[in-house]
Amino acid sequence: MTKFAMNRRDFLSTTAAVTVMAGVSMPKMSFAADKVVKIGFLAPLTGAVAAWGKPGLDGCKIWADWVNADGGVKIGDDAYKVEFVAYDDEYDPSKARTGAVKLIKEDDVKFIMMLGGDPWPGASPVAEKENMLFSTLLPSDLSPDTELLVAPCEVHPIYNVTGVEWLAENKPELKTAVVCAQDDSLGKPSVATYLAAFEAAGIEVLGDPIFFDPATTDFAPIMSKMLALKPDIICLDTCYADYVHPLTEQAFQQGFKGQMISCTADFYEKMVEKTSKEFMDGFIFQFPDFDDPAMNAEHINFQKPNDFYAEYVKRYGKGEWSAVSWEYASIMDLWANAAGRAGTTEPVKVLEAMKVGGTGKQAFGEAKWWGKELFGIDNALVGQWPVVAIDKDGKARIQDFKSIPAWWDKHKDLLIKHMKALNQMYYQRS
Amino acid sequence: MPKTDTNTNFLGLLGFALLAVVLIALPHLLSFSQQEILVLLVINVLLVCSYRLLTLTGEWSLAHAVIMGVGAYSSALAAKQLSFPVPLAMLTGAGVAGFLAFLLSFPLFRMKGFYFLIASFAAGEVIRLTWKWSDLTFLFGGPKGIKRIPPFPDFLSIDFYEPVNYYYLCLIVVAISLLILYRIERSRIGLTFHAIHWQDKLAESVGVNTFRYRMLAFVVSAFFAGLAGALYAHYVGAVAPNRFSVEEMVYILIWAIVGGTATFYGPIIGVVTLTILNEVILRSLDVDEMRPMFYGAILIISILFLPNGLESLLPKIKGWFAARKEKRAMTEQLAE
Repeated sequence: MTKFAMNRRDFLSTTAAVTVMAGVSMPKMSFAADKVVKIGFLAPLTGAVAAWGKPGLDGCKIWADWVNADGGVKIGDDAYKVEFVAYDDEYDPSKARTGAVKLIKEDDVKFIMMLGGDPWPGASPVAEKENMLFSTLLPSDLSPDTELLVAPCEVHPIYNVTGVEWLAENKPELKTAVVCAQDDSLGKPSVATYLAAFEAAGIEVLGDPIFFDPATTDFAPIMSKMLALKPDIICLDTCYADYVHPLTEQAFQQGFKGQMISCTADFYEKMVEKTSKEFMDGFIFQFPDFDDPAMNAEHINFQKPNDFYAEYVKRYGKGEWSAVSWEYASIMDLWANAAGRAGTTEPVKVLEAMKVGGTGKQAFGEAKWWGKELFGIDNALVGQWPVVAIDKDGKARIQDFKSIPAWWDKHKDLLIKHMKALNQMYYQRS
Repeated sequence: MPKTDTNTNFLGLLGFALLAVVLIALPHLLSFSQQEILVLLVINVLLVCSYRLLTLTGEWSLAHAVIMGVGAYSSALAAKQLSFPVPLAMLTGAGVAGFLAFLLSFPLFRMKGFYFLIASFAAGEVIRLTWKWSDLTFLFGGPKGIKRIPPFPDFLSIDFYEPVNYYYLCLIVVAISLLILYRIERSRIGLTFHAIHWQDKLAESVGVNTFRYRMLAFVVSAFFAGLAGALYAHYVGAVAPNRFSVEEMVYILIWAIVGGTATFYGPIIGVVTLTILNEVILRSLDVDEMRPMFYGAILIISILFLPNGLESLLPKIKGWFAARKEKRAMTEQLAE
């Protein structure tokens, strides 16, 4: 057998050569002769919240490939190729600030998409100083001061009312529920929303909502505590995927036979594998697979949803589709449309164009700019939202599209009451 | 010999002068985002050096990140709710952190070693969960924390929103703080800390009140951690309980362990090296999802090959040069 030996000099020279070759031969994501508009993607790509960042960036890459293949976004007299520049904010405000500065001052982006939540306050002063338009998936970031922040896709957690409303209409025999959530900025407003929705639907919530620490790893005691109340419905609120999965497994292992409802069920195929199709049958959540035939309805504004889903699954795998896979891409639809109408990529002008007439084309249909009473500013785009349930074959299917404004008009007092009780109104936040 | 002493002093001064020039010029050689990272790095230098002071007594705390948070929250509240001028609010934040450490000393220093470690973790979690407690949301802002913290005010038309200006402010504050920490370590008090670490029973037998010295180390360490928190809060403009979680504490431990705690500069080398590695080099490789894996691998390699920390590299390099010089001298002697 030949003994392979490499001295330090060989190692260094080989490494240098490989590095140079890699630099020379790697394909570049640039469009030499074309005009390019850069869009910032500032979201967690690593850590516990990465599941709500990374799949969104993957979706954006598909969006950009399709738009660029069609010649780019028409703005004024020019067509612009779109290029995404990502920065991992690790769900940390100081890193969000650094990322925002990098994207604006070094990469010259014209619009920044964020997940929102904890990192937003770090990026907020940069947005103000630099006059940059930002988007968030979490409208609870909105306040009267955040004029350059919009929530144009997801009105979390308000759309959760649609799942409860549908449940009350279709399974009136369910009369009691228990709620649990992680004790953080996502969990609390969502609990307030579910409490309002259950009250509006005449469903009694047993005991106080259970708030667990985000560092929790053992979910058996939490599920035991919930099951001890013998509820008809277990509500998992807006738990992260890392909590929804073990909580669902615990419900299965501890013999729960009732109804489950959750804001998200990311990577639900894995939950079906770990429990059973029978157990997961009827599990309600709010985020559809885009191969659903119902996504081809006339009111849907998202471009070619079925093809988008197929391409996503082809590139990244079936199990990688999540709640946010399409959301950032749908925000880009809105931005591209507004930039086209404004005839410029200048952030303030694009925002004005976006809000012209007080309505906009949200992914699931025509929607209106709303939020004054809840967030102190009309910067959330609200309209219809789907209710999704897992069927007996373990596949998520849209059950219905329900109107959030219609629910709000009837029950807004309830929502404000519960938001106030949990100190979640914009004027109660420090 | 007097001449050698003079030479050493001169070289030392020259070294400090060079370091000062580098630190003053540094932000102008960096990109905008690297300037932002530099500000946070300087704050973290103070954080990890303050942590080292406590470790001199032999106690490793898991509450240091939370103590930093106490400084950040207190300073933010003093500036926002009580309308204190920001510099005064910062000192108040540091003072509150020190005072809290004083109070915590009574239960915590009834324990030592592993038991102290666990008890400090528990105490830190109690404080952190208090910030999240819904009944106190009006004060601490619950899980979302406090936002729109007043920034450091402009001074002589210097805008402290700009990272370069805030970096110089932090540099002055941190340099003074490090000087104080260094003087404490080199004083009789510092020697007593070391004595308590290695021979606490013996120290007690000669009349040293070990409880009071441990408390002193804890309070001073907390004061400067609180000051680091205050510098952070008025720069980023927001504080939240998750920012001071056990995960952040793990980073402080990693900086201290990888850098080494035997020398004053060990933790500084640790935090500087690992921050450059994580925030500059790994980010520039554009492998975001793989970054934690690379970071972890480098940590493992570093601990395997440099168990005494990066600080042990310097004596090793010195030894290597000395051996080379000796070898060359011997070769020359043999040749003659």
